[in-house]
Amino acid sequence: MSNLWYIAGFLFAGVSFVFLTIGAAWLISHRNPGDVHKGLPYESGIDTYGDTHGRFGLSFYIYALLFVAFDIEVVFIFLWAIVFRDLLISGFISMLIFVGILLLGLAYAWRKGVLEWR
Amino acid sequence: MTAVARSWGRLTLAGKILFTVIPILLLLTAGLVLVVVLFGKPIVDFLAANIWLVRFIVAASAVLLMSVPTAFLIIYMEMKVIALMNLRIGPDRVGPFGSLLSVVHGLKVLMKEDFSPTGSDRLVFTLAPVVVYMSAVMSLLVLPFAPGLFGADINIGLLYLFAVGGLTVVGLLMAGWSSFNKYSLLGGLRSAAQVVSYEIPLTLSVVGLLILTGTMSLNQISLNQAGWFTNWYVFQQPLGALIFFIAATAEGNRTPFDLTEADSEIVAGFATEYSGMRFGFFFFAEYVNVFIVSGLFVALFLGGWNAPIAWPEAWAIHLTFDPGSTGMGLLFALLLVPPILILALAAPFYVGRSSLPWWQALIIGFVLFNVLAIVVVGGWAFISLDWVAGLLWFLGKTYLFVFTFVWMRGTLPRVRIDQLMGFAWKWLLPASLLNLFVTALAVIVINPR
Repeated sequence: MSNLWYIAGFLFAGVSFVFLTIGAAWLISHRNPGDVHKGLPYESGIDTYGDTHGRFGLSFYIYALLFVAFDIEVVFIFLWAIVFRDLLISGFISMLIFVGILLLGLAYAWRKGVLEWR
Repeated sequence: MTAVARSWGRLTLAGKILFTVIPILLLLTAGLVLVVVLFGKPIVDFLAANIWLVRFIVAASAVLLMSVPTAFLIIYMEMKVIALMNLRIGPDRVGPFGSLLSVVHGLKVLMKEDFSPTGSDRLVFTLAPVVVYMSAVMSLLVLPFAPGLFGADINIGLLYLFAVGGLTVVGLLMAGWSSFNKYSLLGGLRSAAQVVSYEIPLTLSVVGLLILTGTMSLNQISLNQAGWFTNWYVFQQPLGALIFFIAATAEGNRTPFDLTEADSEIVAGFATEYSGMRFGFFFFAEYVNVFIVSGLFVALFLGGWNAPIAWPEAWAIHLTFDPGSTGMGLLFALLLVPPILILALAAPFYVGRSSLPWWQALIIGFVLFNVLAIVVVGGWAFISLDWVAGLLWFLGKTYLFVFTFVWMRGTLPRVRIDQLMGFAWKWLLPASLLNLFVTALAVIVINPR
């Protein structure tokens, strides 16, 4: 239980450290509003063109989906690895089936060409 | 003097007030602590009854105060080592061998204007570096530095570390999205795709190790590797260690996998629009992450704080010297030994070189005395205090790995993004699963309980 308090306390300490430092920097640094051009996004010297939050590659989305599937798997595998000494053969076979199903999914994605970056 | 006056003139009114108030406040706090220690018996009693509170405050402030100098040290190391590899001189102006240049960088970043561009989402823009740095600092909580010297010994330490470390990607994505800049958006998305892809091999590569240890507590894993260096898990898990090292490089956005801040393609990636201290925290977090990744590798695979050689108990040196037993003699020794030793060390230089003025000989003697004192006191601590020895071994191994990361940055070119993603999913993921099942089979066959 005290470990939970440690984590919460570290969260609080870390966040307040960063906020205090940024606040101190905000107080001691000089500020100059400048003209319109100062606030423009830096895009290598020319004014920004088109919608910034517009369209971007679909590949990012597919990798995120693959990640979700495999990251849930990792959570199960971690717990399985801790108790593996008590399971031995039965644990090995069940995990082989579990990972096999996921690998089938990966093989399907591979075959479909999803893993090629475009 | 003019530089100081100019900096003072540049400060805002609030800054001038703050710069005068903070030293006064520090003095007041010191006085208050003294008063509490001397007269505040109820407060001292309360703290003595709740010793975990004191331990938490000490641990949190130690980690927070340690994180920034660590970043400074690694930044200096990177500047100097890469310069020497490129046959340049590198920083050599500020401090001995230019070692204070990164500190000056840090102060400069603190005083720079902190600007939010028009169109940016102010709140998310400010929160992004907070999230990134917070995840770095919270990872330091479970890292075992020495026997008994860690923030907290959590029983799911490794899982906690991966979970908290994974929060970095949220911060980077926040920075990329809120900057309202196409380069930032691309950098944020790239970092999300890259970190997310390499998270899988990174977490799967340690599962073989978890089967062997049967625990996720980093402290326990370090304890398991005590004895000779053949007990280190790198010899039982070579493939896992290799995959972990590659994936950790990608997780920390280090060369050759630094696609997220590829300056020849997307300026500075997610940090393009950042300035001032908010940029500084991104910068520090990157180097704190290098330290964490190196420390984690050492704790998992290279024996943590264990020395590579197990001293036989018969050889162990027990220095049982109690300073209190000497009484007044200790006071005289402390008063008399330094001047005598300084004079004794300075004498050969004064006698040997007639051109040397007496005060320069004294300075040489003083420096030599300090070196001698540090060696003697440090050697005594190394032998008789196991946490000092453990800390030195841990930091030595960790900085060896930090040096490897810097070396890679000085040597290797950047990979293409399709090679990067293909490598994670087509090579590292099957290899880490293979490592997992081979380890499991070996445990079933041999069952070394």
